[in-house]
Amino acid sequence: MAYVITEACIDAADKACREECPVDCIYEGDRMLYIHPDECVDCGKCVTACPNGAIASEYKLTAELEQFKDVAVEFFETFPQAEGGAEDVGPLGADHPVVASWPSGGAAG
Amino acid sequence: MTLLDDSTPDTATRELTVLGACPQDCPDTCAMVVTVRDGVAVDVAGSKEQPYTNGGLCVKVDNYLDKVYHPDRVLHPLRRTGPKGAGEFERITWDEAIAEIAARFTQVKEEHGPETIMPVSYLGTQGIINGLNVGDPFFNRLGATVAERTYCDSGSCTAYAMTIGDTAGVDPESLVHSKFILIWAANIMSTNLHLWPYIAEAKKRGAKVVVVDPVRTKTARQASQHIPIRPGTDGALALAMMHVIIEEGLTDDEYIAQYTIGYDELVERVQQYTPEWASEETGIPVETIRTLAREYATSQPSVIRIGVAVERHAGGGQTVRTLSCLPALVGAWRNPGGGILQLPLWAFPVNWPAFMHPELQTPGTQVVNQYLLGQALTGELELRTPLHALMVYNSNPVVVAPDQATLLEGLSREDLFTVVSEHFITDTARYADIVLPATTQLEQEDIMFSWGHLYATYNNPSIEPRGEAVPNTELFRRLAAAMGFDDDPIFTRTDQEMIAEAFDWSSPAMEGITVESLKEKGWARLSVPSPDEYAPHREGNFRTPSEKTEFLSSAAAGGNFVVPLFRQGSNDHQPGQPVDPLPHYIPPRENASADPDLASRYPLNLISPKSHAFINSSYANIEFHQKVQKPATLIINPDDAAERGIENGAVVRAFNDRGSVELLAKVDASTMPGVTVCYVGHCRSDALGLSTLSSLNPTRFADLGNAPTFSDTLIEVAPVGAGEA
Ligand code: SF4
Ligand code: SF4
Ligand code: SF4
Repeated sequence: MAYVITEACIDAADKACREECPVDCIYEGDRMLYIHPDECVDCGKCVTACPNGAIASEYKLTAELEQFKDVAVEFFETFPQAEGGAEDVGPLGADHPVVASWPSGGAAG
Repeated sequence: MTLLDDSTPDTATRELTVLGACPQDCPDTCAMVVTVRDGVAVDVAGSKEQPYTNGGLCVKVDNYLDKVYHPDRVLHPLRRTGPKGAGEFERITWDEAIAEIAARFTQVKEEHGPETIMPVSYLGTQGIINGLNVGDPFFNRLGATVAERTYCDSGSCTAYAMTIGDTAGVDPESLVHSKFILIWAANIMSTNLHLWPYIAEAKKRGAKVVVVDPVRTKTARQASQHIPIRPGTDGALALAMMHVIIEEGLTDDEYIAQYTIGYDELVERVQQYTPEWASEETGIPVETIRTLAREYATSQPSVIRIGVAVERHAGGGQTVRTLSCLPALVGAWRNPGGGILQLPLWAFPVNWPAFMHPELQTPGTQVVNQYLLGQALTGELELRTPLHALMVYNSNPVVVAPDQATLLEGLSREDLFTVVSEHFITDTARYADIVLPATTQLEQEDIMFSWGHLYATYNNPSIEPRGEAVPNTELFRRLAAAMGFDDDPIFTRTDQEMIAEAFDWSSPAMEGITVESLKEKGWARLSVPSPDEYAPHREGNFRTPSEKTEFLSSAAAGGNFVVPLFRQGSNDHQPGQPVDPLPHYIPPRENASADPDLASRYPLNLISPKSHAFINSSYANIEFHQKVQKPATLIINPDDAAERGIENGAVVRAFNDRGSVELLAKVDASTMPGVTVCYVGHCRSDALGLSTLSSLNPTRFADLGNAPTFSDTLIEVAPVGAGEA
């Protein structure tokens, strides 16, 4: 497992983190980005790049954000073509159901 | 201390940004930026300015503060109160500690001779002043046994130097220009992370990236092609590549004629190494070998990136000899991004003699290789004088040296006086009579070379030493004074004076770089052509006696040797056995054809690559790193697991004649059938059966440079029954 993108990215998705990832393992859904759990090398570089504080190590997630671990795993199970480099794969145009049904502007209240 | 942005004086907190350098034995030597608030470090990050670091560290050091402020840090000198190995200590003062060490060293020296004392150290920190050679002047003057430290790249260095000399080779940043990148036995994603973006860029520009590795690592998965290979047979593949390149006329004849020697002899030699033969040896299909050779030869510039693993078997030296010959055969050196990337360390004009001071050595002093430490302590190794005292710093031999059981027996000797300087009570420190508190990189000043890129880096201290911790330099100043060595200015040099001696500043590589500029900017690229232009061997200029690539090595006439840098500057008692001057194949020692009896009892190969979250044993005691790395695991192929009734997640016993280790099985096709994998570094104190991987590893040397043969190991694996567990 790896670093995980959480709630604060939903509808922000400005991709600042993607530029920083040395192994290009941050894939684009529709409303959010997802870190590939098997490709991430745990370097932490994306954490400081994210203006919204949306990224944390799976071992440092708060209880309410824990579910985003499973969100990431299931997302990549659903989209097995998302591997080998996010740039080549491009936007997947879809989200994990939890993210897809997240209320708009929910993160901002 | 360099202050980048001192906050305004009227704010409540004072925040400083200090430029540092990662101290770990990793090729990337990242430039770090440490944020300090009210004297406390609150963040350690990668420099955004240094192009190679490019704003990021890695999983090991991104969480460096977990180590610096860990509650288990040793903060004061300690003296043993319980039995050896129990880890029971009492606090003493520095004066008491130094006085006791000096008294014991003096007593041992007078009663048994100085060679009965031995330093044990490697690269727990690799700064020039606190790292590899920090104790050398002290032990050389004392007349102590010389420690031969050949853990990493020693065999590779001997082989590389015999072939092309001590040259930097390819600039890693030039890899963006490579058309064919052959990553040979290196897991870049875990051990050389900052190289990956250059490889990825080359790939984006159309380069093919091929990984040769018994394991489908993260790196192998991101490559264009993964070629699984049986451990220890890399030389066969490399020689067969030569065979195909020559047979099919894919050589660069003009380059060979002008810049190599021994081509005719090489042609004759590689006749025997057909792809069909290599296929039997390596397990790689003939067509894959032929295609690899063709693509490597014709996609110029092509580059080979080797790590430290490729030397770790009986024929490791000759493997690196062969790989170092390949670029000249195909003219890869003609362009930036072509050649071989081994240790760009050679580009740095480090003033090694000022740190080793080999002239202080008594000629003929006994040399003991550190893998043999257990045998040396238990009398299994015949020594002129047995050992009575050890001083361990920058190392944790119980975890990293082979033959753990013998070493533990040796360290348990009640008559042995052992001093350990450390950050934590490691598995080795538990056996110490005196433990001394060492500073981390944030608490000390240093100046760094790199063995993975062409930037010098400066480490400004960012916080005060914790407790009574001292840098290694200060430790040896104190010890030297207590032993009366301070009549010689070598032993009273301040850190600043040592830093001023670190490089030959008048060398062309240091043009425009000063101590002051490094300190202030934190880093500097050596004064060499830009990565877009750097092709140091376009016209030969190899650093061999002939100034050519020596297929036929003239240095071989002198016999096998260890580069003196790895043995305190000593050239005495070199291994010296005859070396065939042409590249050739030496099969693994522990395999079915070399030793059928052994292979029938222990049919599985064991390899022990570097961990993702630990650096050797460093960080193996830190909770976050433990979570990322997971408990000590044996990866086993599903076929081998099924044959033995091993289920995923079960506790298994891995064993051979040297020892036995309990590990969690990970049944996974990422490793080849017949090959098991255990990542190095877990603490013995955390191990299921109180023993770790190094119990299984052999102490025997590879063919060149006394390199280890950790990946030339056979084992058997069995499930641990409920009753046994
Ligand atoms: S932690 Fe590193 S590897 Fe993982 S997603 Fe973030 S930047 Fe990429
Ligand atoms: S930088 Fe943060 S908010 Fe932006 S895409 Fe990445 S995770 Fe989402
Ligand atoms: S261990 Fe290597 S990659 Fe990690 S921060 Fe240090 S130098 Fe950089």
